[in-house]
Amino acid sequence: MLFGFPPEIYLMQIVFGLALGAIYVLLASGLSIIFGLLDVINFAHGTFYMLGAYAVYVAVSLTGNFWIGLVCAVLIVALFGALTEWTLLKRLYKEEPFYPLLLTFGMAVAIPDAMKFIFGLIGKVVEYPSGLVGAIMAGPILLPKYRLFIIVLTAFVMILLWLFLKKSDLGMIIRAATRDSLMVQVLGVNVSRIWTVGFSIGVGLAALGGAVAAPMVSAVPDMGVEMTVECFVVVVIGGLGSLGGAILGGLIIGQVVSFVSLFAGDYSNVAIFFAMAVILLIRPRGLFGEAGRL
Amino acid sequence: MGKNNSIKTVWIALLIFLFLPFILSAPLATEMLIYSLFALGFNILLGQTGVISFGHAAYFGLGAYFAGIALRYFGSSVWTSLLASIVVGGVAAVLIGALSIKKKGVYFAMISLAFAQMFYFLALSALKKWTGGEDGLKFIPILKLDFPFHVDLASPYPLYFFVYFIVALSIFAIWRILESPFGRLLQAIRENEERTEACGFDTTMAKFISLVFSGIFSGLAGGLLTVYLGYVPVTTLFWMTSGTVVMMTILGGMHSFIGPVVGASLFLLLQDEISYLTDRWEMYVGAMFMALVLLFPEGIVGTIKDKIETKRKRVQESQWVGDVS
Repeated sequence: MLFGFPPEIYLMQIVFGLALGAIYVLLASGLSIIFGLLDVINFAHGTFYMLGAYAVYVAVSLTGNFWIGLVCAVLIVALFGALTEWTLLKRLYKEEPFYPLLLTFGMAVAIPDAMKFIFGLIGKVVEYPSGLVGAIMAGPILLPKYRLFIIVLTAFVMILLWLFLKKSDLGMIIRAATRDSLMVQVLGVNVSRIWTVGFSIGVGLAALGGAVAAPMVSAVPDMGVEMTVECFVVVVIGGLGSLGGAILGGLIIGQVVSFVSLFAGDYSNVAIFFAMAVILLIRPRGLFGEAGRL
Repeated sequence: MGKNNSIKTVWIALLIFLFLPFILSAPLATEMLIYSLFALGFNILLGQTGVISFGHAAYFGLGAYFAGIALRYFGSSVWTSLLASIVVGGVAAVLIGALSIKKKGVYFAMISLAFAQMFYFLALSALKKWTGGEDGLKFIPILKLDFPFHVDLASPYPLYFFVYFIVALSIFAIWRILESPFGRLLQAIRENEERTEACGFDTTMAKFISLVFSGIFSGLAGGLLTVYLGYVPVTTLFWMTSGTVVMMTILGGMHSFIGPVVGASLFLLLQDEISYLTDRWEMYVGAMFMALVLLFPEGIVGTIKDKIETKRKRVQESQWVGDVS
């Protein structure tokens, strides 16, 4: 026994925290990419997460296959994101820096309510994919297969994203545009299109987070807002605009939530904000943040 | 912001508010006054200093809760409880500001929202023994004033004019702050922070003080809400409250002094009307807000002001052409 719980509980709690953290990692890296490229804090990030969950619900009930549903959900929501950037957000970059933020906030108010209108208030249940039901026994501890899958999938996606940004031509242009979009424009790249691509990648990551979370939490219209705020906490801790920061921040917050809910359930919602306050006190730019940028 | 115009519009607004409870209804008009004060307090930071906060529910809600706690648990008078809401609004702004005001604009918006959610969750679950959790803080005794003379705050019209008195005083106080050299400094920061700093001003400190003033008036508005409602709903701390005050201010026009008052009043009037027709208020208001940001980012008062100005210019030009010919 360790602090009133058998040691196996801690191992399980770590795995649960990792799975939760993995979803934070997906969302926060999307938020970071969007901020890095567009200087926009996407207040509708959780809304896209929610849309991802609904998209996977719709796609699974149409096709009957979770994996096809997952891919469709991400593609559809990413496309929707590209469309909003292209038609709406783009008009606001010339205005004061917080106008794009206001627009995404309007989306975060309107879209969940529209989803209530379309799908009703009651959550939509998404079945676990057939191969991932149940749990694996690892010695004395029980590890749910689906949560392990989320951890593996996220690691895989993050490696892909890293390879894409570091090794591909488009990734190089995105990184360059994050540094200095004017210079990239001068070199003959259509930066406006890069912004659309970057925004839809960020939105797609949020949608992927929502789609993989859907079987665990079921899709509800109001699931997005809290996620948006939790993502903000993650990027403040990790350092906004840094992919490594989003990953580390997400994993930290996952563990914090997991362990605080074990010891003091009432404080599990509050603990992450204390963590954020501590980071702001001792390292204001976040763990991996660049000095002077923010 | 026209110097002489702004105080004139304040007088006009107060004159209209004198008759508003008889035209609409006393409760709706009271709510308009309270949210007008909230939006004006918020706009000290947004419109005047150019810093956007998405966490003003923290100051508003804490003001409401502390007024409620003072009234319910300590049996204090209405005046003391309003003082409590002012103090807690200011103190919360000091704490949040100390951690975050140095941050660049959009980053501050993000952190402020996170801190506001922290207070929401504290009231919702961690401290529900004192705050009443999801149900809000109830069982606040029936309120009346004994000083300086007796006012029964349980009936709508005396309550309205009590709120009117406090809000009017606060509006003049805010106007005075913004017309002072310090207010000018805030506007300089809004226009160009680097240059203001280069002129030797401590812009971080100025933004910090602006946030504290903003927190104080938002807290007072929260305290007034408690006096008006007779209980504290937990939604006062919810993110949507922060969003509502942003929408109100942008709707009215953040770059004019009276804009937030117009915005808050119109917003509540619309909410009142649309809620009769449909449950989907948030869908409509969100969509309208997006259209507003895209098409009329200066809000109602700002757009009207622009129209008048272009007309005046055109008239002057035509006169000038007439003189020449």
